[in-house]
Amino acid sequence: MRKFWCGFFIFWPIAAIIYSAVSPQFNWWFPGPSVTELGQRIDNLFYLILIIVTAVFIGTQVALGYCLWRASHNKEERAWFTHGSHNLEVIWSVVPSVILLFLALYQMDVWALYRVQSFFPKEAREAPVAEVTARQFEWRIRYPGLDEHGVPKKLHLKPQPDDLYTVNDLHVPIGRPVMINLRSDDVQHSFFLPHLRIKQDAIPGQIIPIWFKPERPGNFDLACAELCGWGHYKMRAQLIVEREVEFQAYLQKLRADQNYDGHATPSAVAKKDE
Amino acid sequence: MSVRWQSLIVGLACALAGCGGDGSQMRFVENSTLAKPVHRKARAVVKTTLEEHFGAPLNSVAWLELPVKYGRAEGKITAIDDQTLSVEFNAETMDLTGFDAAEFAGTELLLTSGTNQEKAIPLASFDGKTKTFEMSSLAVVPAVGDQFVAGGNVLKHGRKLYARHCQHCHGVSGDGDGPTAKYLNPRPRDYRQGKFKFTSTAGPAGKATRDDLRRILGQGIPGTYMPAFVPMLKDGELTAIIEYVRWLAMRGEVEWQLLGQFKDEYASDRAKKEAKESGGKESEIEKQIDSQLKEFVKSGLSALVQEVAGDLADKWIAAEEEGAAIIPELARVADSPESRKRGKDLFYGKVANCVNCHGLAAKGNGAQTEDVAKNLRTGELYPTPGLFDDWDQPVKPRDLTRGIYRGGRRPIDIYRRITQGIKGTPMPGAPKTIKSDEIWDLVNFVLSIPFESPAPKTASAHSIAGQSGEKGHAN
Repeated sequence: MRKFWCGFFIFWPIAAIIYSAVSPQFNWWFPGPSVTELGQRIDNLFYLILIIVTAVFIGTQVALGYCLWRASHNKEERAWFTHGSHNLEVIWSVVPSVILLFLALYQMDVWALYRVQSFFPKEAREAPVAEVTARQFEWRIRYPGLDEHGVPKKLHLKPQPDDLYTVNDLHVPIGRPVMINLRSDDVQHSFFLPHLRIKQDAIPGQIIPIWFKPERPGNFDLACAELCGWGHYKMRAQLIVEREVEFQAYLQKLRADQNYDGHATPSAVAKKDE
Repeated sequence: MSVRWQSLIVGLACALAGCGGDGSQMRFVENSTLAKPVHRKARAVVKTTLEEHFGAPLNSVAWLELPVKYGRAEGKITAIDDQTLSVEFNAETMDLTGFDAAEFAGTELLLTSGTNQEKAIPLASFDGKTKTFEMSSLAVVPAVGDQFVAGGNVLKHGRKLYARHCQHCHGVSGDGDGPTAKYLNPRPRDYRQGKFKFTSTAGPAGKATRDDLRRILGQGIPGTYMPAFVPMLKDGELTAIIEYVRWLAMRGEVEWQLLGQFKDEYASDRAKKEAKESGGKESEIEKQIDSQLKEFVKSGLSALVQEVAGDLADKWIAAEEEGAAIIPELARVADSPESRKRGKDLFYGKVANCVNCHGLAAKGNGAQTEDVAKNLRTGELYPTPGLFDDWDQPVKPRDLTRGIYRGGRRPIDIYRRITQGIKGTPMPGAPKTIKSDEIWDLVNFVLSIPFESPAPKTASAHSIAGQSGEKGHAN
């Protein structure tokens, strides 16, 4: 029975490590490498913490296993009572504190870039590409209108006559920082882009800016990550990252569709989309 | 101990069975305002007729009289050999050996599971004996074990999707009375009158086209609880849901119309009335009604049902025909201050008289919303002031200052709303005397409202009591 407990407490850490090691092969891990560089840095922070806790986890498990093993083989030696050791307590208080302090300082620039507006890239901050409004149970998206050269105008906080509207379909250009303004029409939602490692609550009454710089084209999930009602699962939209030309063409198409009067062909540019 | 275990198992089984629930039965309109005046025996006839021609959701009948793209079979792919697919049909699918191979030629096989889910495979032929399909293209290659719907069976696939995504609001029979419906304002659509509000087709009788329904599913209805379902639902799934909704709407309308036909001849109080008039016994007259109804079921019912279904099918087919969708005579009149001014004059003018409902400030609180309206079907006045739709729900004219357009914000959408009205609501189509270019002026004006104050300053000073455009009304 003593051997059993030794085996039992050794089995779980080994199982946990094997499980973690094979996870990526079965897609039980991140949904691929991050599409943004900032997301990559967030992953790196995650891995740093993972390495630290893995080391601590293995260390404690080995110590536990060693104690059990030693006790199960030695009937002479008895456990003894102690009031504790001042030195040991200082060590196990100071070492984790130092680690935590290190993490707190080490992640500061990532956090600032991710959340603090004054650290956002200037070009993104000055020209938000779209406004995303979460609503039970969809994402309504508003782009600014296009000027006579087909260049997007400035996005105003209040709707403008030539704004372009779409739903559940967020297009952004690749390779430059883009910012969107997140709002909620009703309850709390959460704007979740797993491939970009972005998750931000949408709060009624607030406009929350989010920026990212996608480095890879593709069609990514946009989901709601805050239980917002019975239709929560319906808030499954897509983020399409495309080349600047395609993005501009998309906006043109949106404009053509939105101005459709039954005579002009809707989306003459639409062929590009197929 | 064993008894305890047994009771636990029985309890669990009951609980799980309860989860499965049998909420999937169609409800008949027993208690609706339309069914009440109809004699209960005539109601029973309507019910059996519907069961015969439509069945229940889990056991639906493909009534070929109706323009619904039914499917035929569903099952699993068991083997693939070059262009030939061997399949195994599931228990629900009827025996296909009897079908003509030609029936599947040129149709599609829709995959409902696996990596190619929602992709369609064009079929060249079907061999009933060996249960094999011949693919006419190799663009999509399925895998062994993939589930499919062949020759359609769209209705069954549609039922599953409808149950998952739509039923909790729109109800099992499409009566707009699912479990979540009572929390919503506006209420979810009740399809049973065959009326859809935002369509591209003409007139109050125009049905929704498949494209209209697809657009609503894709875009949602802003300002209501109807969300957009794309990209969560794929194209094939939308097709299936659309066919199922059409089927439900047709079922409801057949029910609705049959009850309407029976209303006069077989009124629920007929026996009482006649007994009073002739001094005869009520039970005698009941017997008379019974035999008359039995006679009718034998001789005239099937003709009546065919007629009702035929009319209805014609309307749905007409909606799909080319030219059914309203296309303005003229292209949009350029949006200019002059055009908006002309539109504004129309808005406040006597002919279009939009202001009557939409109000001086276009906030949806015109004089008409303070009036007691008349129910056009019963001829009675509504108990409370305000406007009501064909489902007897209170409706408010749109507040045009908010820039939320339920039927879509494209100029063509607004044009169609103005010319055709909104079906089932007091929003009428514009009078024919208003020409296409004038409608465009109105469209230009309406689209400009959220960005400027439309109320003339002097107007509010002279406003009639109860029409002050600036105040919001809570009704």
